[in-house]
Amino acid sequence: MIVALETSCDDTCAAVVERDGTIRSNVISSQGVHDRYGGVVPEVASRHHLELVNDVVDDALRQAGATLDDADTIAVTRGPGLVGALLVGLQTAKALAAARRLPLAPVDHLLGHVAATELRPQAFAPPFLCLVASGGHTFLADVRDPGRFEVLGSTLDDAAGEAFDKGARMLGLGYPGGPALQRLAQSGDERAFDFPTAKGVAGLDFSFAGLKTALLYAIRDLGEDEAAARRADLAASYQRAIVEALAHRVERGLEATGHTRLALGGGVAANGPLRERMSQLPVELAIPPIELCTDNAAMIAAAARHVAPLPYPEYFGLDAYATGEGGL
Amino acid sequence: MIVLGLDTATPATVVGLLRADGVAFEGRHDPAAGERPGHATRLLGLVDEVLASAGVRLDEVTRIAAGVGPGSFTGLRIGIATARGLAQATGAELVGVSTLRALAVGAAGQDRPVAAILDARRGEVFAAAWIGDTEVMSPAAVAPETLAEALDALARPAPRSGGASAPPPLAIGDGALRFRDELEPAGADIPPDDDPLHRVAGRHVCHLGARAEPAGTDAVVPDYLRLPDAEARKP
Ligand SMILES: [Zn+2]
Repeated sequence: MIVALETSCDDTCAAVVERDGTIRSNVISSQGVHDRYGGVVPEVASRHHLELVNDVVDDALRQAGATLDDADTIAVTRGPGLVGALLVGLQTAKALAAARRLPLAPVDHLLGHVAATELRPQAFAPPFLCLVASGGHTFLADVRDPGRFEVLGSTLDDAAGEAFDKGARMLGLGYPGGPALQRLAQSGDERAFDFPTAKGVAGLDFSFAGLKTALLYAIRDLGEDEAAARRADLAASYQRAIVEALAHRVERGLEATGHTRLALGGGVAANGPLRERMSQLPVELAIPPIELCTDNAAMIAAAARHVAPLPYPEYFGLDAYATGEGGL
Repeated sequence: MIVLGLDTATPATVVGLLRADGVAFEGRHDPAAGERPGHATRLLGLVDEVLASAGVRLDEVTRIAAGVGPGSFTGLRIGIATARGLAQATGAELVGVSTLRALAVGAAGQDRPVAAILDARRGEVFAAAWIGDTEVMSPAAVAPETLAEALDALARPAPRSGGASAPPPLAIGDGALRFRDELEPAGADIPPDDDPLHRVAGRHVCHLGARAEPAGTDAVVPDYLRLPDAEARKP
């Protein structure tokens, strides 16, 4: 049984997962305090992680009907993410493991998103193409074997979730913007504005900077009153451009790799039109339940099964990393 | 009672162990000039070393004392997360200890004010002062000039003492060293740079921890003394 912790951004997460991918508990404490800042504030996130982390671990164990005595491995996200936030989870995990002389599996957060597909009961085994799109990352992965993947393309500027949030802010919606923008878009015409989808950007990388600028200019050109009157059209067209930008890369990726199976991950996988668009592709599609798409610790446990755990006390010197490393 | 003490509020990584027989053991890492603090990478290794030298197993520790600062935000969280995790896994009691108090306790027995002063970056210090066990200046983040005025007031002889000048306040800690030029003219007595009084010691964290009232895990949090920047900037 694996006890996993994840604190790379603003969700304090712990989970208990069996070796075969059965989730016994998956606790996510969303801090909810960042909304009023219009984004995640690293220092605020780190402070909350420390206050919450032990209770979240306790809750995960209690919900699983387990204790630390039942754990054979402690798993934890080592990066990438906010270093101050990561360190809270990493030190907690190291301390829990050290006190019980358990091995520790340091996990790359991005591998976690990919491995989320392997969790039961909807386990989806490689090979497949995987699109992970969230507020923190957007990348396309070629997954041939469990626990290993190759990044085919990633965002050159904003993450897809960030593009949703920034668009929402321009349209006067709150943070986080994704769900609010999707709601507003429901009553709008997605063909009303022809926003760019970075089709011209060759290869499999993503870019949302042009789209953001296009929305800004569209709002300015319409003038305050007209823009307000056509908010729903703007939202629908903007959303469609993000979905199409993601879909183009997925189509190219399928073509380039020959994959006939596709998995989605990351919080943007909750977006209705994106799911709709992906379901029309001629592939076998897997979308894990949304609580396994957004940041969570069950996915870290899933990934930990493919990581060589460090025996006690070899993990004492582990540090967190903000970017890169982790076998990417 | 067997107390394990941790402090990572300053660039040093500090561990102490107070055995049931009253004998104290210490381990520490002080980064060299220009070296980054090794809190995350060294703390658990030092805990192991100190336990080994004391001949104590972690599951025999009955109480864990964590320095709660003030100090480096990230440093504090590394030490406190470690202490909380160890306590959660072993069932040991958990207590928080003021890092400034632990520093001041190192100069106990002085019949004069002792000011514990830590470098708080951004041109400020975290400081507090005691005479014996009585706090005469409560912990605050202040500019060195403000601290100098406070020390000057502490240095003045009391009106009823018949003019006999009171002994100057003793100022210790990396903040006292950093701002020696500002604080000495105000009457502060600052020991030489290499005096161990300037460094937080594990045994003092343990001794204070032994006397503290155990709190729930949730109650042991950093004493940041400063808001996050985003919070401070809000209207
Ligand atoms: Zn993520």
